[in-house]
Amino acid sequence: MRIIMGMTWKELMRKRVMVLTLIMTVVFLIGFWFIAGTIGQSSMSHGSSFPSGEELLIRFTNGLFILSFGFFFGAFVIAFLAIFSSFSAISGEAEQGVMQALLPRPIPRWKWYAGRWLGYVTLGIGYALILFVSILLITQAHTAIPRDGLALFKSFLLFSSIVPLLITVSMLGSGFFSALGNGVFMTMLYGAGWLGGMIDKVSSSLLSKPEALSTLNNMTGIMSLLMPVDGLQRRMTAELFSINEMNGMFNASNSLFGLDNFTSVPSNSFIVYAIFYTLIAFLIGLYRFQRKDL
Amino acid sequence: MSTAAIKAKSLTKEYDNGRGCRDVSITVGKGEAFGFLGPNGAGKSTFVKMLVGLIHPSSGSGTLFGHKIGSLEAKSLIGYLPELYRYQEWLTGEEVVRLHARLCGMQRSVADKRIPQLLDEVGIGKRGRDRVKHYSKGMQQRLGLACALVNEPAIVFLDEPSSALDPIGRQEVRRILQNLKEKGVTIFLNSHLLEDVEVLCDRMALLNNGVILRHGKVSEVLNKRMSWRFKVGGFAPILLSWLKDQTGLQIRVSSHTEESIDSSRVWLEAELESEEQVGWLNTLIIEQGMTLYEVSHQQERLEEWFMNAVSGLSHRGEHE
Repeated sequence: MRIIMGMTWKELMRKRVMVLTLIMTVVFLIGFWFIAGTIGQSSMSHGSSFPSGEELLIRFTNGLFILSFGFFFGAFVIAFLAIFSSFSAISGEAEQGVMQALLPRPIPRWKWYAGRWLGYVTLGIGYALILFVSILLITQAHTAIPRDGLALFKSFLLFSSIVPLLITVSMLGSGFFSALGNGVFMTMLYGAGWLGGMIDKVSSSLLSKPEALSTLNNMTGIMSLLMPVDGLQRRMTAELFSINEMNGMFNASNSLFGLDNFTSVPSNSFIVYAIFYTLIAFLIGLYRFQRKDL
Repeated sequence: MSTAAIKAKSLTKEYDNGRGCRDVSITVGKGEAFGFLGPNGAGKSTFVKMLVGLIHPSSGSGTLFGHKIGSLEAKSLIGYLPELYRYQEWLTGEEVVRLHARLCGMQRSVADKRIPQLLDEVGIGKRGRDRVKHYSKGMQQRLGLACALVNEPAIVFLDEPSSALDPIGRQEVRRILQNLKEKGVTIFLNSHLLEDVEVLCDRMALLNNGVILRHGKVSEVLNKRMSWRFKVGGFAPILLSWLKDQTGLQIRVSSHTEESIDSSRVWLEAELESEEQVGWLNTLIIEQGMTLYEVSHQQERLEEWFMNAVSGLSHRGEHE
C-alpha cells in the first residue's frame, strides 16, 4: 500500500498537478492579500490608540467576511483538486492499459485501491492545511481572526474533510464510468451540492411564504444529502466563527456574510451522515474494484 | 509445486455481447512454450487475462503451478506483458521496472543489480533514465518485457510481445524468449506472428469464437502434411495423368514457372504423408522413363496451417 501511495504522490508531483495548483494558489493569495488589506483598512481606528467596542465589532465582522471569502474560494480549489486528481483513478488507467500491467503483480486489489486513496487524500489534506493557514495568516495581518485553538482545529478538520469525501466519491464513480464521464459526473454532483446551499441561502432571505420555503428546503435537503460538501463547508465556517457562542452579538444573516449562510448550520447528525456517506462510498468503490474486469 | 504450469478446466467468460470464451480447458507443462493462436476477437486475450487475474471467470477454474488463478501465490510466479500496454508516462523506464520489482517484494539491493542488466538485455540500456513519455511504441514494448521479467518469473504470459517491434527487435525478443525457455521458464505466447510461435513453441492451441478448435504439438501439426517436390526431365502431360491414376495422389506441376527449365523439365509437387510414398513415387517416375534430378520437401508453415484451419469458419473479428 505504501508503494502505491508513494507512486500516487510522485504522479501528482510529476504531472505538475500540485505545482500548477500551488502556483495558482500563490496568485490567489496575492490577490487575497490586497483584498484583505483594503477591507481591513476600512475598519482601522483613526486618532485613538484604543478602539471602541463598536470598532472592535466592525473589525471582527470584517475579519469574518475576509475569512469567509477566503474559505469560499479555498473550498472550491480543494474540491476541484480532489476531483481532478482522482476522477480517472480506475477507468482512466484501465482504458490506457496502465493498470493491466500492474495488477497481475502480487498485490491485493484492496491495497491498490486504499493506497491510491491514501495518496490522493494525504496530498489533498496537506494542500488544504497550507491553504487554511495561509488564509488565516493573511487575514490576521490585516484584521482580527478567531483565536480559539479548538475552534480552529475543528474548522480545519471540517475544511479538509471535503478532500476524502470527494476523492472517495470520485474513485467510486471511476469504477463505474469512463474517465471523461466521471469528470462530468463529479463536477455536476459537486455543483448540485453547492447549488443546494445557494438556493437555501437565497430562499431563506428572499422568500417569506412558508409553503414555498418548505418545498425549497426539501429540495436543498436532498441536494445536501446527495453531496454533503457544501453543508460541511457551512458548518466549518460556523465552527470557525463560533456562531453559537456569538449568537446575538451581531446579525449573522447580515449581507456582509453574503458568501455563507449562517441561518441553517448543519447539525452534528449531518456530520455523522457525511462520515457514513464517505465510508459507504469507499466500501462500495472497493467492492466494485474487487469485482471489476480489466 | 505442481508439475503442470497451467491447468485450466472449462474456463468460461461470458459477456453480454456474446464474446469471451467458453469451456476452455488446457494443460501446459512446466518449462513448456505454448502458443495460443486465433483470429481477432477469438477470445485469446480474455483467456490470458483470466489466467493472470485481471478478469474474473464466469465459470470454470484454473491453477498456475497448483495455485488458484488470481491468488497472490499464483501472481507471485508470473510475468505478464499485456496486449494494450501503457506505462506511467511520468516515470522513467528504470522507475517503472523498479515499481514492478517493489510490488513483487524484491529487495532494493537485488533490484539495483538486476534492473540495469535487464534494461540492457531488452535493448533499452541507458535510455532507462528517460521518461516513458519520450519512448516510441517499440521502446515501450521492450520496457513491458523488462517489467514482465523483472521478478524472474516461473511463467511468462506474453500477449503479442513483438507487435510494435521492427524485424531487429523481433529477433531480439525471440532470442530473449529462447533464453528463457532454455532456463526452464514456462512461456505462454499469444501472438499473431506465427513465425514466432513456430520457432519457439512446443505445443499450441487454436481458438476461434471463444472455443478451442485444435490443439497439439507444433511439430505434429506441421509434419502431418509435407509438400514434396520432384525435379524431372522428359516430362509430358500424359505422364502426369498416369501418375495420378496409379497413386491416387494430388500431383501437380509447380506454379513456379521461373524454375521450369523447358517444357520437358519441370518441378512436380505432391502432398505426401510418409517417406514410403516418396520412394514409391520416385520408382514410378523412373519407370515411366523420366529423369529424376532432384527431390526436396517443404514443411507446411504454421501460417498456411492457420489459414487452412480458419478458412471457411466465421469468426467474430470479421464483424469488428
